[in-house]
Amino acid sequence: MDLLAHLEAYVATADEASFSRAADRLGIAQPLLSRRIKTLEGHFGGPLFDRSRRQVTTTELGVLLLPYARDVLDRAQRLRQAAQSARRVRAVGVPGDCAPAALARALRAGTEHGITLGMRELPPMERESGLSDGSLAYALVRVVPERAALRVPLGLASAPAGTPQAPRALHLEELRPRRRRTGAPPASPPLPVLVLAEDRVPCFEERFARAVARAGLPEGRIAPAGPAADALTETLAGRALLLCTEQYAHRYDARWAPLGDTALHRGYDVSAPPGPRGTPEVPRWLTRPLAQAVGAVGAARHGDTGDLRAAGDVPARLAARG
Amino acid sequence: MSPAETGAAHGRPVCVGDDGALMDVAEAVAADWAALGVRGSFLALNLDTGTRLGFGVDESMPLASVAKVPLALVVLDRIAAGELDAARPVTVDPARSSVGSTGLSAFRHPATVAVGDLLLLMLSVSDNAAADALFDLVQVAEVDARLRAWGCDGIRMRHRMNHMYECAVGAAGNDFSLALELAVRDERAGLATIETLDPARANSGSAAALVGLLRRVWCDEIAVPGATAELRRLMGSQVFTQRLACDLRADSLRWSGKTGTFLHLRHEIGVVEAESGDRVAMAALTRAGRRAALAPDIELAMGAAARDAFEALRG
Repeated sequence: MDLLAHLEAYVATADEASFSRAADRLGIAQPLLSRRIKTLEGHFGGPLFDRSRRQVTTTELGVLLLPYARDVLDRAQRLRQAAQSARRVRAVGVPGDCAPAALARALRAGTEHGITLGMRELPPMERESGLSDGSLAYALVRVVPERAALRVPLGLASAPAGTPQAPRALHLEELRPRRRRTGAPPASPPLPVLVLAEDRVPCFEERFARAVARAGLPEGRIAPAGPAADALTETLAGRALLLCTEQYAHRYDARWAPLGDTALHRGYDVSAPPGPRGTPEVPRWLTRPLAQAVGAVGAARHGDTGDLRAAGDVPARLAARG
Repeated sequence: MSPAETGAAHGRPVCVGDDGALMDVAEAVAADWAALGVRGSFLALNLDTGTRLGFGVDESMPLASVAKVPLALVVLDRIAAGELDAARPVTVDPARSSVGSTGLSAFRHPATVAVGDLLLLMLSVSDNAAADALFDLVQVAEVDARLRAWGCDGIRMRHRMNHMYECAVGAAGNDFSLALELAVRDERAGLATIETLDPARANSGSAAALVGLLRRVWCDEIAVPGATAELRRLMGSQVFTQRLACDLRADSLRWSGKTGTFLHLRHEIGVVEAESGDRVAMAALTRAGRRAALAPDIELAMGAAARDAFEALRG
């Protein structure tokens, strides 16, 4: 017996007080509906409806069992919804300069855990709003590096040089134009420092502007990068310096040196939208490839011991969130 | 001589550098100075990593006003030991005080200043009268002996500040340009008509010894911490910025230094400290081959060397 179909016939008839209207509501033939109710009455050992009057009425047994029948149907409905939302694609908001190979590893890890992930490249503020409006299931959110789970060194990319050298920390004061020595050729104009959209977030911009001023650089040396491809072209042509991560610079064969001031590096947390029981934890199998994708150094080392526990908890967390 | 040193014939200074890149910087600075007709020595040392670059680092040179740094350290050590009161008033009378163009030495009327403020005048504006007022309290021989006891072997103290003026006047009368001409001519001939230009008879020291002194002051490895901290503070108050500091001026950098100028000598020693934590001590001791009271191009070359060295040595 398909208990759910039989309970549906019972509940619909009780609601409508009519076999024909109940059959219409369920979209089945009335004889089928009647047969299901008879079968159910046999199963429960007594009549659910009084058919002796013009209007169908529910018997005492029928009234008593009705809330239980509704409860079973509700739960079955929620079960179907949970199954459906678990099959849906979950969007992950990521910065524009991620390493594609690492993002692909995140997608494969999702598949292994029964979750279909989709990567969405978004500027930092939109990743944050995507979490709050529910359009993103996970996002890499910019935070100050001191409090971040993932730290990514920022540095300056420049045109490739003849001999590759080990990157030495670069300090903003060094970008000040030099005073000319006697007989020295006229200095070339100082190169602008281009800032990508990924770094136009209040938590970074304020600090950077202050550091630039204190290092004695005019504000005009810093400019928004515009499209990343244009900024890279200018940089590789030796006409600009691009503020970016090491892996981004090396992907395009630019020379790169980290900023000496680590307070100016990037910080990321991998976040999920806040649920009814606070902000849920993001599974380790997802944070790890995302850390690699942004080029984090010494990423989330403290979480390594929780790896097994986190992996075991994944289905429970997803069900609670569905 | 360490393996990292490269020698040279004919008066070209010996360069030192802890790796190839640092050696390149040292040689570039030496070539830059030589092109301006400047002889001398330069040494920069990262106080935390110990890496260094420079040239001619062991050559002894008359210190001029750089000698006020060891004097200040000995006075501060006596104050810290309770043997001298920083608040003790000292009256300086222009009729008897030392010659100079700044501070008490430029005053026309007697002034009473506490010992602690004499130190400030001596280090902030290189006040000769303030320095010699301190030499009245702590004798030259005592300063020299204390340096010896501290193991500062490359630095010798032999006279008060006014002795430089007296020697110049003795050789050239009150004619500055004649004194300068004597100095430059002697430089070419390897003589020292003016006694205080002779490293063997003047207050003198080498770049290596001076940087060593700065290192011990900045790392609290000499005198007592109370004295070294106050010396660091006072050296940070120097108002002259046209030499080593000229291209190291930013809110995120701090320069603490002491210049020294006498006839054709232009010196400075000091420490640059960055907000990032990098600390580099340096000494630049120069002798110009020209008769000019002002030589901004030489001072600019000193500043360029300081910046190049700092950027090469910092982490």
